[in-house]
Amino acid sequence: MKFLRLYKNDQVFRIALGIAIVVIGYIASVFYSKMQQLDASVERIATSSQTQLELEKLLSIITHYETYLRSYIITKDEAYLKNRFLDRGEIELNFVELKRLTANSPSMTRSLDSLKVMLDKRFDLFRETLTLARVRNADKQMLNDKLLESTAYTIQMRDHVYRAIDREAKKLKKLNDEHQFGLNDSMVSAFLLVILSLLVLLLSFNRVSSDIYQLQKANDELKFLNQAFNNAEKVANFGHWKLNLTTNAYTFSENFYRLLGIDPDSPEATPENIATFIHPEDFESAAKAHEESLKTFASTSVVLRYVLPDGKTKYINSVGSFMQNSKGDQIKVGVNYDITEPYLKNIELEHNNRHLKAVNEELESFNNIVSHDLQEPLRKIQMFISRIQEKEDGVLSEQGKDYFGKIYASANRMQTLMIDLVNYTRTIKGDKTFVKTNFSSLLEQVAQELSINVEEKQGSLTFENLPTIKAIPFQIEQLFINLITNSLKYSKENVPPKIRIAGVKITEPETIQDKVVTDRQFCKIVVSDNGIGFRQEYAEKIFVLFHRLETDVKYAGTGLGLAICKKIIENHNGYITVKSKPGKGTDFSIYLPKT
Amino acid sequence: MITHKDPIHILLADDDEDDRNFFSEALAELKMTNKVTLFKDGKELMDYLDNPDIKMPHILFLDLNMPGKTGFDCLKEIRANSRFKELSIAIYSTSSAEKDIEETFVGGANIYIKKPNDFSKLKKVIKDVVNINWQFHSSGLNKETFFFSI
Amino acid sequence: MKLYIKYDGIMACRVILQEQLEKHQVKYQLLDLGEIEIDEGVTEERFAEVQESLNRYGIYILNNQKSQLIQRIKDAIVEMVYERDKLPSTTISHYLSEKLNFSYGYIANIFSEYTFTSIENFIIIQKIERAKKLIVEEELTLTEISYKLNYSSVAHLSSQFKKVTGLTPSMFKRIIDKRRLLVNQVE
Repeated sequence: MKFLRLYKNDQVFRIALGIAIVVIGYIASVFYSKMQQLDASVERIATSSQTQLELEKLLSIITHYETYLRSYIITKDEAYLKNRFLDRGEIELNFVELKRLTANSPSMTRSLDSLKVMLDKRFDLFRETLTLARVRNADKQMLNDKLLESTAYTIQMRDHVYRAIDREAKKLKKLNDEHQFGLNDSMVSAFLLVILSLLVLLLSFNRVSSDIYQLQKANDELKFLNQAFNNAEKVANFGHWKLNLTTNAYTFSENFYRLLGIDPDSPEATPENIATFIHPEDFESAAKAHEESLKTFASTSVVLRYVLPDGKTKYINSVGSFMQNSKGDQIKVGVNYDITEPYLKNIELEHNNRHLKAVNEELESFNNIVSHDLQEPLRKIQMFISRIQEKEDGVLSEQGKDYFGKIYASANRMQTLMIDLVNYTRTIKGDKTFVKTNFSSLLEQVAQELSINVEEKQGSLTFENLPTIKAIPFQIEQLFINLITNSLKYSKENVPPKIRIAGVKITEPETIQDKVVTDRQFCKIVVSDNGIGFRQEYAEKIFVLFHRLETDVKYAGTGLGLAICKKIIENHNGYITVKSKPGKGTDFSIYLPKT
Repeated sequence: MITHKDPIHILLADDDEDDRNFFSEALAELKMTNKVTLFKDGKELMDYLDNPDIKMPHILFLDLNMPGKTGFDCLKEIRANSRFKELSIAIYSTSSAEKDIEETFVGGANIYIKKPNDFSKLKKVIKDVVNINWQFHSSGLNKETFFFSI
Repeated sequence: MKLYIKYDGIMACRVILQEQLEKHQVKYQLLDLGEIEIDEGVTEERFAEVQESLNRYGIYILNNQKSQLIQRIKDAIVEMVYERDKLPSTTISHYLSEKLNFSYGYIANIFSEYTFTSIENFIIIQKIERAKKLIVEEELTLTEISYKLNYSSVAHLSSQFKKVTGLTPSMFKRIIDKRRLLVNQVE
């Protein structure tokens, strides 16, 4: 793996290739010098053989001469002597050849020098023997002695020559061995050279072919990317353009033209034409932003309209930024995308928002009207009625008094209704900021608020185990005020109301309105009382707006209180349920999300 | 020391004529030794109070919702002036919003009255206010913590 | 910089009285709250001087017999509410008649005649006044305050607080805090 990675690395590959070539060069030069050496050794072997041969030849000539001389002595035939005998010509030639051959070897030269002395002496002996032989009646004994002496010398000379030949043979053998070794060496070098060259060749080829493959792949990918990009532009409704700041040439992507409703292949699709599609109102500002950016090289983002050939208007967001191409030219690249749809939607949304805000404001002013402006005349009516009832009591007929009583009651009812209505609309509107709310301290305040009402009925209000969760405090306050007021109102006569508010752990998942409510997600708070209660079948109805169960005057109400509670609980994404039994009291269960 | 023999001087600033009438009628019926001065807006009230020669009144009943200078504006101006330190201010308003009650108390009001919808209640309210104010002054209670909301 | 101080009005009064009387060389003896015994031999002139200098501190010499009694009743109640660490558990009527040596009926009658309010109401006002002071001082919880002022529960204290001031203790506290914040911001 590691090797493969190195192989893939261009730098490493180049270095390796360089080293391989150096190694091949080195091995080739070694090989060449080896061949030179072999050449020289072949020469030397040849010289050595020649030297041996010449020496042998020299010896054989001497022997020949000796034989001829003996033959002459025996036969006295002059033919044996002829011209060559005693003529040292052949030997001299021989000797010159030897001298040439052994010129490079000092030991051999020395040996030849001594051989020459010996040769001279031998020829002297020849000549002496011949002289002795030619003498008529020669002293046989002397001749014999001379011959013996000559033969002994010849042997001595032969020994010398043989020694020289021996030396030369040894040298030859050594040379031969060296040559053999050098030859082997060269063969290994040559083989190595070939293998290495082949390897380098192979690697290079592999590398080049893989590079070509990669290049091709990259090329294909680039082509694909280009295609994908073009498709993406088409699908995503955007186009791009480039401006080379050096050449001042604009290029536009195909889809850019398409965005403007122009066929990219049509003659209309030229960079010069593009500007003519820009909405005249937007042209100046867009051009200004563009030119400004060319000075500062800052990114740009403008929204401008293009008027299409078919007359339609398109909202285009054009975002531009700067980069450098491979030549180092500054290029401004812009992406234009069609934001017509979101832009128009946004405008619509803004419009709706404004409308909603207006509605909310209307609701708010409605609230103000109800809580203040409507209360004013109502209060006046009530005041005047009370004035009449007090001052004109004597002059009114019974029926008149009755009527005024009814007007008074109606006005009072209207007042409570308006207060409840304001509270109800406040739960619909109003700020719904969730903050971490400690229900215990919140109920502490509610208890203070209602302390007089509770005391009036000699009731008791307790609370325990209450959670701290995110809630809308004023709404939760309203919720408990309504529930406690409700319990106080529907308390049994002559029985002090006992209201208990407690946080309860949801031990088993409960199903409320087809939803499973678990302890992990919800807090449960139970508000229980010992009041008059109601039949369970009315459980759903009591939360309905303006719905009232009791018709008795002493339980006068607007039917809004519990509807407000339900609304508040809904605002908190919680649930409220009720369990009741006539004469046994009522339990309201509140489920509020923990987060 | 104020004794009930001293005439109590009461001011009322309210743009509503009916309310001014109810108020003076109620005071008349209460048969208290008192003197009442009515103003129909905040400016009139402040012009009166700015006169350094006047004898300091005891209680000012101040409607919040008045055209021009509102009751809240008057409250701020009066409380910014140490000359009126002893003047008790009773806010007299249709609103019973907790926000208004809190804001005016924080702003220096001593009493907050939600305008009653019954004449006898009005009489009782005025009587209670005059009384509690007198208690505060006669019994040396702490003015800093003098709040009464009815 | 605004400082919040806690003071003992009764103690301050005593010191002022001592200082002023000594300044005018009047022989005196401080008796119960609101009562001083002075030397008979003080000239009318000097008496007027003393009276004038005391008036500057909001201290008045009561001449009317009934006014004096009213003041004594008030003082007795204030003393009861403020001086004691805890209100006496014996009935207040018993406490007052013993303290002032009059029948409770007489005390109550004369009190309402002169003050436009019943003695019970006055006690409540004083208790709530004390409660306010304690709330502002922030040293005690509502539970502790209700115990100290002999209320059966926080709910009872709250309802009485609301009856007297029209506010819940929480809202009262909130208003005080906001006022202080406002004053601190201005300065």
